[in-house]
Amino acid sequence: MISGSNLERVLKSGQFAVTGELGPPKSGDPEVVREKARILKGHVDAVNITDCQTAIVRMSSLTAGLIALSEGVEPVMQMTCRDRNRIGMQADILGASALGIKNLLCLTGDHQKFGNHPQAKGVFDMDSIQLLQMVKGMRDGRRFQCGEEIKSHEPRLFLGCAANPFADPFEFRAKRLAKKVEAGADFVQTQIIYNVEKFAKFMEMVRDLGIHEKCYILAGVTPPKSLGMARYMKNFVPGLDVTDDVIKRLKDANDQREEGINIVVDIINQVKEIPGVAGVHVMAIEWEQAVPEIVKRAGLAPRPEYEGVEPVLVTSGAIESAVAQAREEAAQELKRQIDEAKAEAEASRGLIAKEKERTASEISQLRKQVEEAKSMVSQKEAEIQRLTKELEKAKQEIMSAPQGQAPAAGGASQTAVVVEEPLTSREERVLSSLNLGLQALRKVLGLSDEAFEALRRFLEAEFILHLGGVPAGAKVAAPAPAVEEKAAAIEPASEPEEAPAPPSEEKGRNKEVVNLVAKGNVLLHKQDFSGALEVFEQALSIDPDDEQAKEGAEKARAGMAEPAAEAAPAPAEGLLPPCPEELTQEEWARKWVIRYVAKGNVALQKGDPSAAREFFEKAFQLDPNDAKAKAGLDRCEGAPAAAPAPEAAPAEEPAPAPEKAEPESGPEAAAPKPEEPKAEAPEKKEEPKPKAKPAPKPAAAPAPSPGELSIGSLAKDETKLQERAAGISEELYVEKATGAIREVVLGDGEKAITIGGSTALPFYWFEGEMGNPPRIAFDVLDTEPEDVPDSLAKYYSDVMGDPVKWAQKCVSEYGAEAICLSMVSTDPNGMNRAASEAAQTAKAVADAIDVPLILWGCGNADKDTETLREVTSLITDKKVCIAPLTDANYRNLGATAMAFQLPVVASTPIDVNLAKQLNILLENLGLTLDHILMDPSIGAVGYGLEYTYSVMERIRLAALTQQDDKLMVPFICNIGREVWKAKETKLPSDAMLGDQERRGVLIEAITASSLLMAGGELLIMRHPKAVELTKALIESLT
Amino acid sequence: MAAMGRIVAFCCNYVTSVPAEALQEAGLVPEGMEIRRLPCTGKLEIDQIIGAFADGAEAVFVAGCKIDKCHNASGSHRAAKRVKYAKKILEELSISPDLLEMIFVERGEAGPVVEMAQVMQERLEARDASKETAT
Amino acid sequence: MIIAERKPMPEILGMLQGARKVLILGCRGCVAICSAGGDKEVGVISAALRLGFKKAGQEVEIHEETFVRQCDPEYLEPLKDKGKEYDAVLSTACGVGVNFIADRCPGVKVFPALDTSFYGANLSSGEWKEMCAGCGACVLHLTGGLCPVARCAKSLSNGPCGGSVGGRCEIDPDVQCVWHMIYEKLQEQDRVAQMEEIMPVRDWRSAGHGGPRRRVREDLLP
Repeated sequence: MISGSNLERVLKSGQFAVTGELGPPKSGDPEVVREKARILKGHVDAVNITDCQTAIVRMSSLTAGLIALSEGVEPVMQMTCRDRNRIGMQADILGASALGIKNLLCLTGDHQKFGNHPQAKGVFDMDSIQLLQMVKGMRDGRRFQCGEEIKSHEPRLFLGCAANPFADPFEFRAKRLAKKVEAGADFVQTQIIYNVEKFAKFMEMVRDLGIHEKCYILAGVTPPKSLGMARYMKNFVPGLDVTDDVIKRLKDANDQREEGINIVVDIINQVKEIPGVAGVHVMAIEWEQAVPEIVKRAGLAPRPEYEGVEPVLVTSGAIESAVAQAREEAAQELKRQIDEAKAEAEASRGLIAKEKERTASEISQLRKQVEEAKSMVSQKEAEIQRLTKELEKAKQEIMSAPQGQAPAAGGASQTAVVVEEPLTSREERVLSSLNLGLQALRKVLGLSDEAFEALRRFLEAEFILHLGGVPAGAKVAAPAPAVEEKAAAIEPASEPEEAPAPPSEEKGRNKEVVNLVAKGNVLLHKQDFSGALEVFEQALSIDPDDEQAKEGAEKARAGMAEPAAEAAPAPAEGLLPPCPEELTQEEWARKWVIRYVAKGNVALQKGDPSAAREFFEKAFQLDPNDAKAKAGLDRCEGAPAAAPAPEAAPAEEPAPAPEKAEPESGPEAAAPKPEEPKAEAPEKKEEPKPKAKPAPKPAAAPAPSPGELSIGSLAKDETKLQERAAGISEELYVEKATGAIREVVLGDGEKAITIGGSTALPFYWFEGEMGNPPRIAFDVLDTEPEDVPDSLAKYYSDVMGDPVKWAQKCVSEYGAEAICLSMVSTDPNGMNRAASEAAQTAKAVADAIDVPLILWGCGNADKDTETLREVTSLITDKKVCIAPLTDANYRNLGATAMAFQLPVVASTPIDVNLAKQLNILLENLGLTLDHILMDPSIGAVGYGLEYTYSVMERIRLAALTQQDDKLMVPFICNIGREVWKAKETKLPSDAMLGDQERRGVLIEAITASSLLMAGGELLIMRHPKAVELTKALIESLT
Repeated sequence: MAAMGRIVAFCCNYVTSVPAEALQEAGLVPEGMEIRRLPCTGKLEIDQIIGAFADGAEAVFVAGCKIDKCHNASGSHRAAKRVKYAKKILEELSISPDLLEMIFVERGEAGPVVEMAQVMQERLEARDASKETAT
Repeated sequence: MIIAERKPMPEILGMLQGARKVLILGCRGCVAICSAGGDKEVGVISAALRLGFKKAGQEVEIHEETFVRQCDPEYLEPLKDKGKEYDAVLSTACGVGVNFIADRCPGVKVFPALDTSFYGANLSSGEWKEMCAGCGACVLHLTGGLCPVARCAKSLSNGPCGGSVGGRCEIDPDVQCVWHMIYEKLQEQDRVAQMEEIMPVRDWRSAGHGGPRRRVREDLLP
């Protein structure tokens, strides 16, 4: 065996071989090859894969051969000398051999002139005979053409060649075949035979030369598909001898295809009889379907079982099954992992349960301790009662005993102030001196036993109460009131008429000192060192030797000696997180004041005055001079009565300390605990719902019919980021801001709105507070605007041209929270309306509405100065916001704003530094930053939005994370003006751009929502639907 | 080289015994047509034909003996082949090859020369007209 | 003889674009014999250029000159200076002449007026045919003096291929099958057996695939 190919086996076994032919496609589609291979499979022993036959570019024979092999069909790879030199050919031969190709047919190849690239350079480094020689040399001599040795895996190929018995010179044809066999051909396939007679002659010559004994000769046949094809072959294919008989048979045939098959079967039957013919090569060009029929009718079916076909490439079926298997394996692996994870989860659930159990037992233990403490108290009570009884008894005894014996030592010891609990030595000393004093007192005053007893009881209670007399062993605060009650209960037992006599110098001393010391201790505990010192000094002035008073005074002095900076925030401990290094304590506290006020405002906004009060109180505690905190507290008081009563109650109810820590501790748990961020977030989202939406709208998607835009509320996904982050540690993604955006108040009275206050990037709830929610002001033009698309105009058609009515409509019909009056009529390049006239209009608008009003000039610095000054002199009772202040007119307008304490809009071309610069200039002028809104100059979507976005984002990041104080100012974005001048909002509805209104609304809403994400806090918009959409978004995110 | 007439006719000495002036005076040929007399059209070289165009001629024709009656046996035959090659060069230069023709004339006959002169005149006019409409 | 053919006039005009002074330089060697670049052709090209430039509205000064050969240094000597006076020297020599001018005459801008075609013979007036490929490894002794490298479409060494019918090549019925001719020639000389020998694969280095070729004859070197 040379290569062990199936073809070789069949030929060697002496069976009449059948080979087929497969032309690769002029594309990269493997299916074409597969399909043809499937047709031929089982009907031929091997299939020739042509190598760019007739010099037309097709899939390479090597590749197509491998695909055929993957279908279980043995390829005979054809190789021509036209396209590759000896380097390329040897390379491909090695590759073919490596991939399981076992038959190679060596050809010179059709001239490129016949193909689709006649301009190509034909290589023809060698001819077919030299190629055969080379491959045989590689195979048998294990040498490359250059003579270099092939060290291993020489290509084992069964070599074939072609022969044309009909070409000229005819008598040389057999000799030429002999050359090919000598060069290395193991088998030969002839040109298509129609002229059997001539072929027989050729075979005679072949036999004379003994070639048929050295190689297998396969006669080439082709079924003529039609008369046309036969004629073409006869006339135009050089070296093809189509006989007149064949032409005639086809011409006469009813079914030319059928006759074509008949002709080829006849030819096969004839050549089979010619000695030396070892098989046929059936070339059914683009008619592979005919092959099975031809083979069958020629009596050559069935073909011997395939042997030696080992596909290197796998079939698509195999690929699919492999994929399926891999998928199965992957699924199992996944399942295993899931099971593992489940088990782990189970285990951790167990752990949690155990932990719970443990906590529960701890809690019950604590409870038990409380119980114990309580029982101790009642025991004590019983003791006291017992003592009282004893006293009673003693009294009776005394009564019965002679008078003089009353103050007996035994009685004294019996009636001494008794405290059950272990006392410190100091306390013991105080107690004993107290007792001594009492005894002396009794002696001097000759008090009756009852009176003495009452006095003693009183002192005892006082002692317990004020001297930190809470028994040292009790951990719980609860017993305190019990003791107090006791004391109160005991008090009435004393005889009021027998109350202690007016304190003389001697008598009063002890008691007052004790009281003062107790008071001092309380103050000490509160860390009011100076107060404590004062009290202790007072005590010492009464009794300079009082140890406790001395000690307390010392403590107080020590406390006061601590640095003032630390002393100051001390009372705010718990309110203030540790101060960052780069800030002073005051700055830090200031920031937190702003933060707490913002939080308070938010809470208030959400209708939670109790939570708000807490925030404001905290702010107040940090800075009792903060006007906003005060104002906030006032507003809490004045908040709607419906909410606070039930909500404030649980908040104020003092919950016992241990129970507070317990999560399942009844109703208290439901009380808002704003300081716990976990509980805060969901509540925030739930509460505003009913308030923010006076008329609940269906949460459906916007209606599909154009023109009728309805806006539903957005669904809220309340999954916290922490949960979504799937266990990733918060510190990996939470970047807490160190700055806070200032709050700016617009308008006055009830409808005033506060802008800003955020301590995090917009809607970054997991990082901080957003402060006041973003607000939207409606844009009202002071003159009837031109060029307004119907889609917008229709909402204001009845009011356009009348800014007063327009503004009123915005408020009453569209629920505007603020109005921006754009005084476009004043533009010197346009209508150039006189400043005084425009101011009158502005005044009329201001009078007609109660929501905050922004007065936006035409953008001409000088004219705006004139107009806005005029306006501010007319509108004196309202805090309007004036805009825009630019670097050209900030001095004049800034001064005006300062004079009237008006908020302003600082407007700059889109740039971080310019924005900051203008804020600095305004501040230098004396305008505080909490009166400034920044207008970064925005662009609508499609008109520079991305630039706006990026600059705003940078400004906001500088403010929040880089302590850029001058940029800690809220943004105002004049969106409507920009959006509605974009031509896209004005183009009519058409198939490509869609509905005009929908388009305009979306442009405005998308611009708005994008700018919200960039930090926009006050948006000026025009289209009510766009406003509604944007509000829905804000609502869903806050 | 002196500027040439709008139409140049290279004529065999044996073909046109009538001088051009006489033809012009008789108003038989277009004004400005130039007749160049050659001893034999076989002497005409390609560079002369092309040169005539290069020197200002807008149309050129060659009048030689009847192909089988050439005074010098094959002179007009050669001329015809050169005219053919010259036409190819004109084509290469995007000049209409119709503006160069070869005619074979009986000895002493002036008729075909006059006729061809008029044909050329018409072709030139047609060309100019089409140029105008094009612009 | 080297056979060449004039390039189409638009191509020549294109390469001379912008030139104000042009020398058309003929060669009285091979290209004069094959009527592609001798004195006469210089005249024709000159006239055609004048016409072409005129038509394009360009004023170009055209000079004509013809050298004995352009492939020998002594003939190029005068061009070294004179050539610099021109914006372009349009050589009607074969590619050898153009190369040689470019090599030897620095500062002279030389352009080819001809496409150099092949080594051929003059079959008759106005007809030339390729006869040699200059492959540097002659096998003519084996092929009856007929070159399969130059004259077989596939440069076969062991022809004729299956496309040879009636003595004609499959690529063009006007082309003779050189292997058929070789067969007949050898048969005539009773040397057909030579064709039964396998001609080994060729070494193409001598054909230029080993880089530019050079020949030295020591005894003639200066």
